[in-house]
Amino acid sequence: MKTISLKVNGKPYTVEVEEDMRLLDLLRDKLGFTGVKEGCAEGECGACSVIMDGNLVTSCLVMAFQADGKEIITIEGLQSEDGTLHPIQQAFLDEGAVQCGFCTPAMVLAAKALLDKNPNPTDEQIKEGISGNLCRCTGYAKIVSAVKKAAEYLNQGGK
Amino acid sequence: MKKRGKGIACIFYGTGYGNGFPDVSRAYAELQPDGKVAIYTGATEVGQGAKTALSQIPAEVLGLSVDDIIFINEDTSITPDAGTAAATRQTYNTGNAIKMAAEELRNELIKIAVKELELNSDIGLKMKDGKIFLEIYPDKCITFSQIAAMQEEPLRKFAVFTAQTVQIDPETGQGAPYWPYTFSACAVEVEVDTETGKVEVIRGAHAQDVGRAVNPTLIEGQMDGGFAMAMGYVIYEDLGLENGKIWNNKLSSYIIPTSMDMPEIQNIIVEDPENTAPYGAKGIGEPVMISVGPAILNAIYDAVGVRMTEIPVTPAKLLKAIREKEQKEA
Amino acid sequence: MDFNVIGKSVIRVDGLAKVTGKAIYPQDIYMDNMLFGKTLRSSVPHAYFTLDTSKAEKIEGVVKIFTAKDVPGHNSHGVLFKDHEVLCEKKVRRIGDPIAFVVAVSEKIAAEAIEAIEVKYEEIPAVFDPVEAMKDEIKVHDGKSNIIYHYKLRKGNIEEGFAQSDVIVENVYNTSMVEHAFLQPEAGVSYVEDDGTIVVCAATQYPHFDQLEIAEAMGVPAEKVKVINPAVGGAFGGREDITLQIHLAMAAVYTGRPVKAVYSREESFYAHSKRHPEIIKIKTGANKEGKLLALEAEIIADTGAYASWAINVTRKSGIHVTGPYVIPNVKVDAYAVYTNNPFCGAMRGFGATQVPIATEQQMDILAEKLNISPVEIRLKNAFTKGSQTANGQTLTDSVPLVDCITKAAKAIGMF
Ligand code: FES
Ligand code: FES
Repeated sequence: MKTISLKVNGKPYTVEVEEDMRLLDLLRDKLGFTGVKEGCAEGECGACSVIMDGNLVTSCLVMAFQADGKEIITIEGLQSEDGTLHPIQQAFLDEGAVQCGFCTPAMVLAAKALLDKNPNPTDEQIKEGISGNLCRCTGYAKIVSAVKKAAEYLNQGGK
Repeated sequence: MKKRGKGIACIFYGTGYGNGFPDVSRAYAELQPDGKVAIYTGATEVGQGAKTALSQIPAEVLGLSVDDIIFINEDTSITPDAGTAAATRQTYNTGNAIKMAAEELRNELIKIAVKELELNSDIGLKMKDGKIFLEIYPDKCITFSQIAAMQEEPLRKFAVFTAQTVQIDPETGQGAPYWPYTFSACAVEVEVDTETGKVEVIRGAHAQDVGRAVNPTLIEGQMDGGFAMAMGYVIYEDLGLENGKIWNNKLSSYIIPTSMDMPEIQNIIVEDPENTAPYGAKGIGEPVMISVGPAILNAIYDAVGVRMTEIPVTPAKLLKAIREKEQKEA
Repeated sequence: MDFNVIGKSVIRVDGLAKVTGKAIYPQDIYMDNMLFGKTLRSSVPHAYFTLDTSKAEKIEGVVKIFTAKDVPGHNSHGVLFKDHEVLCEKKVRRIGDPIAFVVAVSEKIAAEAIEAIEVKYEEIPAVFDPVEAMKDEIKVHDGKSNIIYHYKLRKGNIEEGFAQSDVIVENVYNTSMVEHAFLQPEAGVSYVEDDGTIVVCAATQYPHFDQLEIAEAMGVPAEKVKVINPAVGGAFGGREDITLQIHLAMAAVYTGRPVKAVYSREESFYAHSKRHPEIIKIKTGANKEGKLLALEAEIIADTGAYASWAINVTRKSGIHVTGPYVIPNVKVDAYAVYTNNPFCGAMRGFGATQVPIATEQQMDILAEKLNISPVEIRLKNAFTKGSQTANGQTLTDSVPLVDCITKAAKAIGMF
């Protein structure tokens, strides 16, 4: 057991974690952030992606203790308290980028990680930015257009 | 060397359980106290958009917006059986059942309105945004919630739709095994690297008969997804099956398409309403993947002149076929 | 006709929950006092076996290890034939057959207990090649032929059709077994309500059928079972057969506590059906003008160890192997065959996806021989309103195939 402190979606947590606990389990089982999904447990599908200190990481490959002192953003941290959607979430809805939705939380975060660094990505850069996230339903086309639309919304100061 | 080629394929697809098996969907439409309408049905949302498309149908019947439809489909103890979310049957089958239930509710509402508004007949009555009113004299108006408040038991209508097919003869296969059929065609351009055997799909045009498009964005989403799944089927996905063992039982070894693999696809929605379908709409969930695969195979032939009779066309297999052809020609 | 809502790209009604991460998939359900279940699966394809669970039972935190004898009702399920066992009793027929279900206070302990169960296999000869399996020398299900279905189509006079043909093309095509790879692996939770109703929450394509399957295996009336179908993370046909639903129901009833199970990706590959691989032998004949005159096909579909939807899938292959074309003389034989491979069932297209891999390449080969374009040969033979299929069915309405062909071809510069 090890005690760690971390921030999730801006809120501080101090928790006891087992040595072999993954960040994914900490977020889902202990802290209740079930928007983080497990699809493969080997870093392939990207469904478990969260943003850690500004970078997109697959939380199934990060141990919980490695998150000590870090700032994590999950999908639960994107919507404003008043219910307003983050522009990326809004763009995913508007463009029809969601089907079964299992990949969606992580896709939205992948888009955020990309747009935070590159506010005007090309289609190719968008495809690259989400290439670590598998989606079996959409064929990605509408996700790419959603990220494009999100960039527009963000550049106009949010929708 | 990189060589390009084009290919086309077309298909038909029989929807529903078929072959005379009773293909039944059931639904309730129920007026809520606030004037909204709840639809109860066992049709599953698996990501295909059933909840949305099947909300649009009763919204259209009742002059409501989709926000005023409450779609309940998650619990077997309160929903009637609507069959499998499979066989491309929900839009057609359950769509028909829901439409029938909504129409019965509509008729009942009109009947009540005629009585309450003290009219001589239902001629000229309009139903819109939760109100029933006389267009020539809109003061004659009653709302859904007013009607709901007058009921002791909620107004609830039930409908069953059973599709029509005829079992085939076991010796000759004669019969009418499916109805309706859906059609599609796909044309693609590929680029084959003759050094590596790798196939890249450059672009695609995919025309899908939908009967009538209930929700074009949802349809395009299905078409994109079907295209990707077909690419996986013919050029990537390999279970590594050996003596009953699946060697590639991980997503790191069982390769499905990523965003980087996907070409520009032009989705063409072809409308030709089917008269037995709800507003003419046929299902499309499965047919959207079928013509894509053989179109790619035909394009590979056009590019490098080899017929790939075994899928998946992995780079190793294609390279071998290309080399064999070169040797034969030399 | 003017519509208000039909034809509009209304935003999906389940979209908001999904983009905010609030949609509940079965793995997202956590309940107080919840136990965890894990399945022990066979590692060999065809064998008799015995189990020794004594060591595993002694592990602290293990609540119960379920085996075939613990199934209260029928130890069977299946969409067409009840040929699956809920937990295999003495024989396994494929790698991945479920043989025990461990319930423990944590997932970790359940996994540990799985390792501690001793399984003794007495392997018997297995068959993996469907052509071989058709000889019935090794039977996958005792006392039953491996050939479980034969679809026959006879239309016109096939010999005459080929005799009149100016070009004939004959080939054998092989399609592969593939996986749905929906992104959400199987998961579920079961619990018992105060009035004794068994509740199973799992992602499924047909909750009302699951309800019946669970009730029969549990030996209770269907009204005593409630299936809750929360958000489903993709399906594509892979969620039509029972996977963990009955195991969970059994565990919840026995322990009186909520029980949850979540499959790993690797287990998911073995737990649900696959797409039937098919061997398609096909001969197609046309006259000089490019009109199809005859088509003969033999299809062998490998359904693996269990039938699932094999009959319907194979029938669908047989019906669709003609392609969307008018052909006066047709002969088709399609067989569904048991082997000791992973079991196959429904997957997007359901038998109609496999056969165009053959049919549509045949069309191009014919076109090349006839020196006409791929588009032209299709247009010459395509179904139109009023056409009759090889099954003798008249297409009375909504047959926009020619429109589809020309639009797709034009868009890519083939027409
Ligand atoms: S679950 Fe972490 S990448 Fe798939
Ligand atoms: S929407 Fe289903 S996996 Fe992406």
